[in-house]
Amino acid sequence: MKPAPFEYHAPETIHEVCGLLAEHGDEAKVLAGGQSLVPMLALRLTRFEHLVDVNRVAALSGFGRENGTLVVRACTRQRVMERDAAIAAAVPLLAQATPLIGHFQIRNRGTVGGSLAHADPASEYPAVAVALGAELELASPGGAVRRLTADDFFVGTWTTAAEPDELLVAARFPVWPARSGFAIEEVARRHGDFALAGVACAITDGRAGIALFGVGSTPVRARDAEEAWLAGAGAAEVAESAVRDLDPPADVHATASTRTRIARHLVERAVTRAQEGQRVAG
Amino acid sequence: MTTSTAGRFVGQSVKRREDPRLLTGHGRYVDDVVLPGMLHCTFVRSDVARGRIIRVDTEAAAALDGVTAVLTAADLNPHAGNMQPTLLLTTPGAPLRPLADGDVRFVGEPIVLIVASSRYVAEDAADLVEVEIDSDPAVIDVEHALDDGVPIVHPELGTNLGAEMVFPISPELEAVLAGDNVVRRIFRQHRHTPVPMETRGVVVEYEPSVGELHAWMSTQNPHEAKQAMSRVTGVPAHLVRVEGHDVGGGFGQKFFTPREEMTVALAARRLGRTLKWIEDRRENLIASNHARADVAECTFALDGDGRLLGTYIDHIEDAGAFPVGATGGAGALVGLLFTGPYKCALASLRTRSVWTNTCGRGAYRGPWMFETVAREQMVDAAARAMGMDPLDWRRRNVIPTAELPYTLPTGLPLDMVSPSETLEQAAEIIGYDAFRSEQRRLFAEEGRLVGIGLGLYVEPSTGMMDPMGTETAVVRVNPNGQVTVALGTGAHGQGIETTMAQVVAEELGIDYEDVTIVQGDSAVTAYGRGTGGSGTAVIAGNSCRNACAVVRAKAIEIAAHLMEAAPDDLEIADAQIAVRGTPTRSVAWTEVARIAHLETARLPEGMEVGLEATATFKAPPFSWSNACHACTVEIDRATGVVSILRYVVSEDCGVMINPMIVEGQVAGGVVQGIGGTLYEHFVYDDDGNPLTTTFMDYLLPTTTEVPTIEYGHVETPSPTPGGHKGMGEGGAIGSPPAIFNAVADALALVGATIDRTPLTPDTILGAITTDA
Repeated sequence: MKPAPFEYHAPETIHEVCGLLAEHGDEAKVLAGGQSLVPMLALRLTRFEHLVDVNRVAALSGFGRENGTLVVRACTRQRVMERDAAIAAAVPLLAQATPLIGHFQIRNRGTVGGSLAHADPASEYPAVAVALGAELELASPGGAVRRLTADDFFVGTWTTAAEPDELLVAARFPVWPARSGFAIEEVARRHGDFALAGVACAITDGRAGIALFGVGSTPVRARDAEEAWLAGAGAAEVAESAVRDLDPPADVHATASTRTRIARHLVERAVTRAQEGQRVAG
Repeated sequence: MTTSTAGRFVGQSVKRREDPRLLTGHGRYVDDVVLPGMLHCTFVRSDVARGRIIRVDTEAAAALDGVTAVLTAADLNPHAGNMQPTLLLTTPGAPLRPLADGDVRFVGEPIVLIVASSRYVAEDAADLVEVEIDSDPAVIDVEHALDDGVPIVHPELGTNLGAEMVFPISPELEAVLAGDNVVRRIFRQHRHTPVPMETRGVVVEYEPSVGELHAWMSTQNPHEAKQAMSRVTGVPAHLVRVEGHDVGGGFGQKFFTPREEMTVALAARRLGRTLKWIEDRRENLIASNHARADVAECTFALDGDGRLLGTYIDHIEDAGAFPVGATGGAGALVGLLFTGPYKCALASLRTRSVWTNTCGRGAYRGPWMFETVAREQMVDAAARAMGMDPLDWRRRNVIPTAELPYTLPTGLPLDMVSPSETLEQAAEIIGYDAFRSEQRRLFAEEGRLVGIGLGLYVEPSTGMMDPMGTETAVVRVNPNGQVTVALGTGAHGQGIETTMAQVVAEELGIDYEDVTIVQGDSAVTAYGRGTGGSGTAVIAGNSCRNACAVVRAKAIEIAAHLMEAAPDDLEIADAQIAVRGTPTRSVAWTEVARIAHLETARLPEGMEVGLEATATFKAPPFSWSNACHACTVEIDRATGVVSILRYVVSEDCGVMINPMIVEGQVAGGVVQGIGGTLYEHFVYDDDGNPLTTTFMDYLLPTTTEVPTIEYGHVETPSPTPGGHKGMGEGGAIGSPPAIFNAVADALALVGATIDRTPLTPDTILGAITTDA
């Protein structure tokens, strides 16, 4: 469990990071919190000739409000999402989701952008991003910046629409209206494990978001269920709709049918909670 | 019989003297051993469960900068002596070898040993070794491993049956098994593994000019390791020294010397270099001996009132390919102990140990514990079948204290136990009757599924088998009066430096702080049994007592001579040797020690100089301890998740040396039982590929999964001098069936049943779907 040799880079600007990515292409990988990448390297499940450590890039750290959007820069630690009252006020779902990620030691080191860019289908942030309609901001070597919706960003297991020389620099979470309700629910074998199934959801007047995780190769947006929810369907009906076309993976932790059953139950519970939250907020 | 109950030190919850160094990161583990010129090893292992090795190309690896040697079977195997981890407790069978030769027999089997300047370089080299294996169908399903046409794991043996014990079925048993109330169930216990926090590891130094082999090893048993290393390397045993300092858990996995440690020792001997191998977690999971993996068909014959008339158990244990030490044969105890703490006149059994192309079986905290798992799960099944509450069934069938000694139907003599008292105490603490009412109310009013389960057992820490039953203590009083005790133990979490110092201080009447325990070094301790099999309190404890008795008598004789008093009139207390009833007439312990060494002219005529003694203790065949576990659980019907609500253990380990350590040992075992029942599962696919090779997939219980454990104590002294009994393993024996029974009890509310572990959401939801 020792990684293969690699060259280590510690750039200090986004420009330098993109330059290194452009220079080394597929042989380079961005190192942020390292909570997924480092074990994979140690197990030699993956190897890269170049690791580009972005922890010293000041411009990748911190968060702020831009009009109706919470902009979280990519290298901001997960613990900030968990603890900062401004996050809970702007995007309550982020604050609710964060304690479900691993353990506090992991969240002290893990980053928001790292989790999104790693795109593990069972992780929480990608589903939160999809449920809320977030956008991901990517920088490329020439200085150009493009934004992708979360729906378009997540392509498959550990795969995103980012080009090899692009760097995820920020996630832009829309601040939903005051009269909104949010909930995230998951079942994991133990606290802190990747979810067997989970769901993040949000509701406000005229808009609903439901994204399941752990049940597909990407976060699974349940559009029919969103529509049913907006149309006034009950939680059980919304849940039934959300899992109708699910085709979850099977592994040593749960069969596909177990995941589907759990997912249906969680959607029902989350939708109920979010509605209650909306009622209280209103 | 003398006991030290309620002594100044024995019976007190003295804080563990090991903890300050362990908890502040100052323990000395094998990976902390760094020697000049030391090289690092890694193994290239098979990724095929069964197949023929076509080609091993080591050329590129050997050419890598920093690589010293790339060793294959051809380099090492011809030089290897006997690879048996121990000559004393082994089952004949699996042809042991340092490196796979010609074929491979499980995924993880070592094929090549790489020696390099660092572990990093060694692993780089491992990537460059090309191994071509023609894979053959593997034997993975133990229940079909004896079928016709199934491949043979060890072609040399011609059968997959490793060991078998069969008791004939008497006509009387046959008659009751044909009676009206016969309950028959098949229970399956899944494979899991000890997972010590510190993985295995060894550093071996061989200096050709001296001819000595010196090993530092993470071991429970330095003396057997010394013997094993001598056998495999050919270095005479008196020139082999094995040291183990702090050992971060073993649970049986480090009791006998495994293959990799022996292979590294052989390589160090061949190369004349100092080698370090530290097992990584992946290796520990896939290739350090596994455990559990049992299946049995169990039969209870009962009378109309639910009284047990006779039992039959047909048990198969999965031995894997290369079992270690006593297992792959310990299955016999499963059958012999199956009726446990219950009255039963008739019993018979068949137990078989079967080879498969999987990681070998080894000892794990209560290696035969399936007897309790199978029996206690049967008890609940039988009670349910008879319409009885499981607690009432146990009350009706448990052996009453008044009827002890009791001979089990398999012939084992049971005595000095209190199963009935611990059953009642556990039921009382957990509030059994009140829980039953609450259970009915929660189900009726809210549809909630809660359940309660019991696990009652007797545990024979046995002195029957050499070398498990004896230990030697050397108690040496230094000239300043402080005492050094040398034991052949290899502590790996038991707090032996604390408990044995308590015993010695008590016996000598001196201060606990003036006693030091030395262990884990074959060169400075007498041959000993190591630490395992719940043996330390009884066996090492009493060897200390025996040695202390000699030292004490001599100290008193010296003091009597100095004071011109009769030895019989003297006693030792608070480090003073005084005339009984006249404390002013005394001589200090330190003075006696000084005179014994440094003013020898003042010793009685003809007395040998010094103050020390070596003594052994041979344990009786059985020192039974017992306990009752009780737990309550809730099942989430929607998700299949099981939560433990409360957990109670009522135990009887006789006289406790240190109640805090007793409870710590119980807690550790219970946590392993929780892990083993709900989370830990080592999974192979049908081809023998391991699927749970990291802690992402092999799930250990953490603080968030473990409830507060509540304790009750019953004290029935054993007939050995200190009155102690073995208790290190029990927590892991009683907990799995208690949890299983609680879950089964909750599921019974909706008519669902379970017959196997682990109790994952898949298992629970599957049961609810199938039955309800």
